[in-house]
This record gives sequence, C-alpha cells and structure tokens, in this order.
Amino acid sequence: MVVKQETKSMTGNDAASYAALFAKPDVIAAYPITPQTTIVENLSRFVDEGKLEAEFIIVESEHSALAACMGAAWSGVRTFTATSSQGLLYMAENVFWTGYGRLPIIMPVVNRCLAPGWNIWPDFQDSMAFRDAGWIQMYTKNNQEVFDTTLQAFKITESKDIALPSMPCLDGFVISHTTGQVDLPDPEDAFEFVGPYDDPVIELDVENPWAYGSMTGPDQYSKHRRDLMVAMDRAKKKIIDVHKEFEEYFGRSYGNGLIEPYGDDEADLTLVTLGTIGDEAHEAIDRLKAEGHSVNALRVRTFRPFPVEDIVEFAKKNHKLVVIDRAVSFGHEGPLRIEVEAILKRHNVDTSVSGKIMGLGGEDVPYSAIMDLVKKELKE
Amino acid sequence: MPVTQKDLMIKPKDALLKGHFACAGCGSALAFRHAIGSVADKAVLVVPASCASVYQGSGKGVAFNVPTINTAFAASDAVASGISRALKKKGKDDLKVIVWGGDGSAADIGIATEIGACDRQENILHVMYSNNVYGNTGGQRSGDTMIGARTATTPKGNTTPRKMVPFIMMANNARYVATASAAFLEDFVEKFQKALSLEGFKFIQIDISCPPNWRADSAHSIEISRLGVQTGIWPLFEWDRETNTAVLSRPGKKYGDKANRKPISDWTSLQGRFRGITNEELIALDEDTERQWNFLRKFM
Repeated sequence: MVVKQETKSMTGNDAASYAALFAKPDVIAAYPITPQTTIVENLSRFVDEGKLEAEFIIVESEHSALAACMGAAWSGVRTFTATSSQGLLYMAENVFWTGYGRLPIIMPVVNRCLAPGWNIWPDFQDSMAFRDAGWIQMYTKNNQEVFDTTLQAFKITESKDIALPSMPCLDGFVISHTTGQVDLPDPEDAFEFVGPYDDPVIELDVENPWAYGSMTGPDQYSKHRRDLMVAMDRAKKKIIDVHKEFEEYFGRSYGNGLIEPYGDDEADLTLVTLGTIGDEAHEAIDRLKAEGHSVNALRVRTFRPFPVEDIVEFAKKNHKLVVIDRAVSFGHEGPLRIEVEAILKRHNVDTSVSGKIMGLGGEDVPYSAIMDLVKKELKE
Repeated sequence: MPVTQKDLMIKPKDALLKGHFACAGCGSALAFRHAIGSVADKAVLVVPASCASVYQGSGKGVAFNVPTINTAFAASDAVASGISRALKKKGKDDLKVIVWGGDGSAADIGIATEIGACDRQENILHVMYSNNVYGNTGGQRSGDTMIGARTATTPKGNTTPRKMVPFIMMANNARYVATASAAFLEDFVEKFQKALSLEGFKFIQIDISCPPNWRADSAHSIEISRLGVQTGIWPLFEWDRETNTAVLSRPGKKYGDKANRKPISDWTSLQGRFRGITNEELIALDEDTERQWNFLRKFM
C-alpha cells in the first residue's frame, strides 16, 4: 500500500535537504558553493531547530567537507554533504578516495559548469569529470525525482553488498532554485523505507584494530579495483530493486530505475538524454508526434553504473538515436554519446547514432530547440 | 604526573609491532612507540601521506597496533574531525583521535585543514613530527626546513626561515600547544598525555632525527636531537590557552639563556645536510633561531 503523502511546493535543493532530513544522517559537513548552498543551509536550520540530531561540521573547504564525511563514514555512521562545480573539483582527490575506498557517503551534486569564465549556470562538465571515480551517479529530471533519488541513494549506497558512494545529480537552477511540486511522505514513513544504518559497511574498532589504505602491492590493489568493478555491476540490480521497493512505498517510478523510456517502444528517431533535458524532451516528443512524426525518448537515469543491457535492448527496437549531451570530452564528443555508440557497436546493434552538444554553461534548451534538432536529424 | 623513564618501560600495549618499515635511527618510529603505546586501547590514528604511511608496514603485515586511517596529504585533520564528531554522536568520545604526520603536511599542504580543525575546536590531537624535509619523496625542502640545509630542491642550501607552526596554532586559539624532542621521551609522553586529557584542538611538534635525509649516522640519531635542544635550535615549551603563557620545559629550560647553549656548529657538524655550510649561513641560522626565542619570550 502506498503511504500517505502531501503535495508541497519547493525548490529542488529543498527536496534534496528534506530527503537528507528524513534519512537522519549522523554527521553532515558543509561548505557553501552556488548553486548547492541552500541544501546545507536548510540542514543547518534543521539541526539548529532540533529537527535533526546530527553533528554539523562547518568546514573550511570542500576538500575538508568530503574528508570529514570520510572520517565519519569510517566510524560507521550515516553521512551527508553536497557540492557543485568548482567545489567538486576542489575535493577531487577525496572524491576518488571515497569511491575507491568504498565509503558509503551521499553527496548530491548540483550541476554547474566550470570556470573560466565565472558562470553559475548548469551543465554536466563537473560531475562528468568524476564518472571514473567509483561513485554511483544518477541524473534527475525534476524536483520530485531529486527527493526520490536522494532517499533511494541511502538505501543503495549503504548496502553491504554494494558499498559505493552516491552522487545524485540535479541541474543547477533549472531544478535547484526552481519551485515545483513535490509529494512529501511523513518523515517516519521515509525513514522506515531507508532504515537505520545499524549494520555499517565499515566501522573502526579499538578492540580489533585494522589499518585502512596502507601501502598495497599490485596484486592486492588490482583485486580491490576488480571488486569495485563487480560491485558496480551488482549495483545495477540493487538500483532496480530499491527503485521497485520505493514504488511500492510511494507509488512513483522512473522507468526501471536505470533508464526511463518515453513514448512508443519503436520509433524512427529516439532522443537520448540526461537530466532536465530529458523532461523537456517529453514536450518536444508530444508536439512532434502531433505533427505526425515517429519519435520517442530514452532518459538515462543512472549513468554509473552504465545500464548497458537496458540501452542495448531499447536501441535494438529503434532506428536512429540522437544523443543530447550537456558536457564535452574535448577532442572527442559528448560523453553520453561516446558511451552509447560504443556499447551498440560492441553488441552488434546497427542502430545509427548521432548527437549534439547543447546547454553548456546554462544555454537554454527549450523544447523548440529539441524539435528543430529532431526535424533536422529526420531529414538526414 | 611527570613521566619517568620507568614509565616508558611499561608497555600497556605495544603500539608498534615487529615488521615496521622505519629506517634505522628513525626518531619518529621511536616517538610513536612510546606515545601511542601510552594511550593503550584508546587511540584512533589518522595518518596523512608521510613517512608514517610507509613505516606502518604494508598489506597484512601492518605494524601499527591501533586503528589506523590513511588519508590524502591535506585531508588528515578534516578526516580526524569527522571521526571525532561521529564518535561523539555514538557516545564513544572516550577514544582519542590523533593525527600523526610529518612537517610536509603540517607546515605546508595540510596547514589550511589543520587551522580549520583548530578554528572549529575539534577534539583532536595533531602530532607533527619534524624532520624538516619531505622525507619519503627523497628529501625536498619543506616550509619547516632550516636555513643552510642542503635538500634535494635546495642543493646550495635553504635560504628562507622556518615556518613557525606551533606559533601559528597558538595564534589560532588551539587549546594546547607544545614542542618536544625524541631525545627527551619522558617529556614528550608527559605532554602527549596532558594534551589528550584536554578538550579541544591540541598540537605538539616533535623534533625527530632523520638519518637518511640528514645524511647522518643512525647511531647519532638521539645525540643530534639532544644537541638540537642544547644548541637552542629547538626550544622546548608548552603553551596553554587558559593562561596564554609559554612555559619552558625542564630538559630545555636552561637553553633559554643563550650563554648556556652549545655552539650550533656542534649540531650541524653531525649532519651531512649542512656539509659546506658557510659562516654567513650559520649566522643566519643563529638569527632565525633567536627570532623564534624572541617570539616565544613574548608569552613567557
């Protein structure tokens, strides 16, 4: 039975902070950066008002924000922080340390482009730079999905058989600072879904001392990385399972949790997207269909682990994929396009793939621009 | 309670087991064994990139017999903050969170993190063991390198004064700041235990000899450290925020008066890193030493 929920209006950042509040983290570390700041501001207010019993560490840099969460995670408690853009870059070595160290930390990234020049608007260049850091990355399309994904992230990340940090990604401003509708459950119901963190993935123990991250020879090192590869693979099923369980509790779903198709199973052209452009694509698809075009869409919700099988199966039934990327691997293509193209080739799927880079540095991507792209691609 | 030599012989728990990788004559491993051993089953260690991340041993043969978290170079005090807060949340704040790292992290790359933890009054102790050089990368100059020292990146001798890290911590309102020497372990362990009995951010800098990078005979390790105190190069003191007073420690007290000190060349002559040091450099080193004493005297 789906639990009772109340429709509220709030920003995407509010939605992320409510998810954190309901999950009751023990330690939160915070450092301000636009457009993430209001997430940790909300949490500091919750702590001050006594709504959340957490140690709130006001650190002097993002590098220390993640480091403090790492210390807390090693101590066996639930941890949370959030960041954006330059802040994510500044914590870089700890991002990898957390991923490769399998530390269960939840850190929403409010996507913002990278300097120069100074620009606070969204693109995915920041989180894409960390696709190889060993974190689960899920890109959200609206405020509701931010709440839902952040809540799910605790359950996925803190499973002993997964033990991978999570980075729920939300477009800066388009989601983070835009007020939208969010159905909020009662805090008790949300906490019941997440569950207490009473069987920690790791916990330092003076009775039984161990050393973490000491010098490690090639044999053991490569074994650790192979374990991480296998855990990432297991995470796909975990994401699907947690997503299904979430649907039973709260009555909402996003495809199977890994990918979210939109429209007909088969079409002449498929738009492949990440984040809010995926939401905007729905409008474009509806209008294009009304004009008589055969089009559908596939939003990649989970980018790491990459849902290879799901994308391949979807692509098999379709004829032409057009990938919209909001980031660039300079000297090559957009990262999503590169990966989609590669897996189709490997699985001998002859569906054609093309793509366009759009929305860098907050460049507006309205449905009309997506429609123009589709019409141009349909002619080619 | 003063710590006596007899106390040092009692090992409630051997903190440094067989199979560690420390060089012969390493003052840091010696200090580690006595200090960490003295807090028995209560220590939680955080180790930034440093010699300690190497001499703890590797793989399944780690020789540190206490929980040990290795962190990125600049991350240790923030990681320790997270541990300390998590332990507080869990009601386990009887455990002692200790950062054990060298001067590269404490004086240079990690100093912002360290001041951050100090500023927040995190309940941790940072022990900075000083060999005045980036040791395990092969001996490059750090902010803690003395004037005249020949290092891998100052082959003709370092020309700039030392960063005075304990004074920086005093200025940032640490709860307790002290210096120590591997030649006077009773004094060090006493300060170490005192620091751990206080709530807030504590900082101890200990002078340890580094035979390979100082190009010194490992048999002279303790003698060099003792001479460091006796020549005044290494003032031994403790400072408490409550009194804002620096007190010279027993073994180093008389060297506050320059007339009682041995010549600095007694100390430099045992170390290959000072081979070829000029008179001008010796004078500059002496002036920099006096600068530190003068600073300290303002708090006495």
